[in-house]
Amino acid sequence: MIPGDFQLPKRNKKNLIYLVILSIVGLIGATVAITLLSFVLSAWFGLPLDVFGLNEGPDQPIKFPHKTHVEELGLDCTFCHRTVTSEASASVPSVTLCMTCHKSVGDDLEEIEKLRSIYASKGTIDWIRVHRVPDHAHFIHEAHVKHFSEKNNVEPAQTCSICHGNVAEMEKVRQARELKMGDCVDCHKKNDGPTDCTTCHY
Amino acid sequence: MAETKWGMVVDLDKCTGCQSCVVACQSENNIPINTEDIFNQRRAIEWIRIERYWEGEFPNVKARYVPVLCQHCDEAPCEPVCPVLATYHNDQGLNVQVYNRCIGTRFCANNCPYTVRFFNFWEPEWPDSLKNQLNPDVTVRSRGIMEKCTFCIQRIRRVSKNSKSGEKTNERDLNPACTNACATDALVFGNLNDPESKVSKARSKGEKRSYKMLEELGTEPNVIYLKKVEKGNKQENHVH
Repeated sequence: MIPGDFQLPKRNKKNLIYLVILSIVGLIGATVAITLLSFVLSAWFGLPLDVFGLNEGPDQPIKFPHKTHVEELGLDCTFCHRTVTSEASASVPSVTLCMTCHKSVGDDLEEIEKLRSIYASKGTIDWIRVHRVPDHAHFIHEAHVKHFSEKNNVEPAQTCSICHGNVAEMEKVRQARELKMGDCVDCHKKNDGPTDCTTCHY
Repeated sequence: MAETKWGMVVDLDKCTGCQSCVVACQSENNIPINTEDIFNQRRAIEWIRIERYWEGEFPNVKARYVPVLCQHCDEAPCEPVCPVLATYHNDQGLNVQVYNRCIGTRFCANNCPYTVRFFNFWEPEWPDSLKNQLNPDVTVRSRGIMEKCTFCIQRIRRVSKNSKSGEKTNERDLNPACTNACATDALVFGNLNDPESKVSKARSKGEKRSYKMLEELGTEPNVIYLKKVEKGNKQENHVH
């Protein structure tokens, strides 16, 4: 052996253990990073992944079950969200509207008692908004409801599920569709809607 | 010819300079409050303003008022200079500003001969008492973007969506905030391509007095001004 010549360091057991530990930590780190990145990217490009309840929707102050009201009792969407066929936004019903039934219906239920105490104190329910488009985009419910109900020849309430998914089956309302600009434009192109920027941005 | 071409007739003979159009516009379009400081910095935002001119020597002075708003020019000088196509002409003859595209170069404002484009130098602020009066149909423009008169496009959108099912009468009743607020009907708004609209009638009625602002520049504005009528003065009173 020539002195000063390059020699591979002798592998001993200690080095090997270090190597194994390092590779395992690296693998775990990479997996975590990729998973996080995919979460962020999927939420950026569309909806959050449907794992760990990420796409579940927020907890509302009163656990209003759409399932009970729509699927079991057969109420129309427009019964509560009254202005949807006449105005830009679909209104959230007032406490008074809830109380027309719940004065007598649903005794001994915890959530109904919450509603009644709010009504007694003349308060409002601070619902958490689930569907929100950015401030610079304007969505007019009336025009869309009208278009689809005329086109498919159905009741206005049957057009809601096009964007909102089947809310009747949801215990907790969550966003069913991306509602990003690409989503809007695709649908406008399919249905010969206007694609001028100022149709929505003004 | 396009079906719709929005335009306005401004009858200077009727304008009293009361500024109610200015106030109406500010509140309809979520325009931040202009303080004295902001005016002194020449950074006030007024989508419509009343320009005041004095004519003659004291004591025989006459006040002249000219409401100036975006002229929605057919050959708009602001449009070709935008590097990101944030301002363009739409199919209804409106010169529109797309806030989410704007990157704030301010080229358009520099190129506008009427100085009716305004830049948001600051994040807009309102006192707490006025926060609930903001119009939900209009975007609150953030700092760094350009804004201008839209002919109250939010109102146009609410009407034109009905026009598909044949409710054309709706369109004729349409008014932007300034026109609605005008006490003397000096401002008339409507579809210039519809011969039955209020604006077409006002235009043909006042044809002899009509002129367009800075017409010689070839911008072809869609706002038509009608000259003031003077008693015993047959000469032209060109007000600008």
